[in-house]
Amino acid sequence: MFEFDLFELTRATVTMVVGLTAVLASLGVILCSAPIYCALYLIGHMICLALLFLLYNAEFIAAVQLIVYAGAVMILFLFIIALLGGKKEIQEPSTERSVAIVFVATMLGELFFSAAVGPTKPIEGVFDIQTVAEVGGSAKAIGLELFSRHVVSFELASVLLLVAAVGIICLSKFSYVPVRRRLK
Amino acid sequence: MGHQFVLLISASIFCIGAAGFLIRKNPLIMFMSVELMLNSANFLLIGFSSFQNSMDGQIFALMVMTVAAAEVVVGLAIILTIFRTRHDMDVDHINTLKG
Repeated sequence: MFEFDLFELTRATVTMVVGLTAVLASLGVILCSAPIYCALYLIGHMICLALLFLLYNAEFIAAVQLIVYAGAVMILFLFIIALLGGKKEIQEPSTERSVAIVFVATMLGELFFSAAVGPTKPIEGVFDIQTVAEVGGSAKAIGLELFSRHVVSFELASVLLLVAAVGIICLSKFSYVPVRRRLK
Repeated sequence: MGHQFVLLISASIFCIGAAGFLIRKNPLIMFMSVELMLNSANFLLIGFSSFQNSMDGQIFALMVMTVAAAEVVVGLAIILTIFRTRHDMDVDHINTLKG
């Protein structure tokens, strides 16, 4: 008797479709000539990746991806495009571009070849789906790990964000022209 | 879906991002391509953390997102400063440091 797991089949199909959509959206990012369409394709790509994260049992990271990337970062990109004026870029073939495409195609072939290597020895961690559910969800499990074993990297990340905030204030406040005037 | 799917999708997105970074001349779109590459690495980390029942990959992905956010903010500020002084959006024309 032919039997199949409908849940697994649906999950595999959805994963395949969402993954292919993510790849197509990323192609749209680099092939559109107007920056605003590139930004829109990138938003679609981020949403597809958030769905993929959900399908691979990372609910918290999916939410963070939607808020940080598809929300904050893309709004920043759209503001900059609105500020600078999204001029269309004329794309004509040149030698540099062909060299770049050959290089990237070689890299893609090598990566695919390395993906064809068989399964490596797995390292079994403690957080399988049942454990995560018992702990109280993906966010709580990440919190437990983050504030116990990875607390130094967490603090370093906060310092990095602080440095970025200070740096952007310096960049926008002391722009190039006033510096030149001051030197005179 | 297995390891191969994650590896293939991630490799494709990374190579598309690298190609975009190399062939485009608009610095904004180059930054978007860098985002694509970082996202492909994130997907690989999440997929393998799910395969190995571990949280380390997800925490690494969180760190990558932090670094990417900081990088985008500073990079866009630099682009804005360059545009304010040069009124030009082609990276091939930016060939002097003090110009």
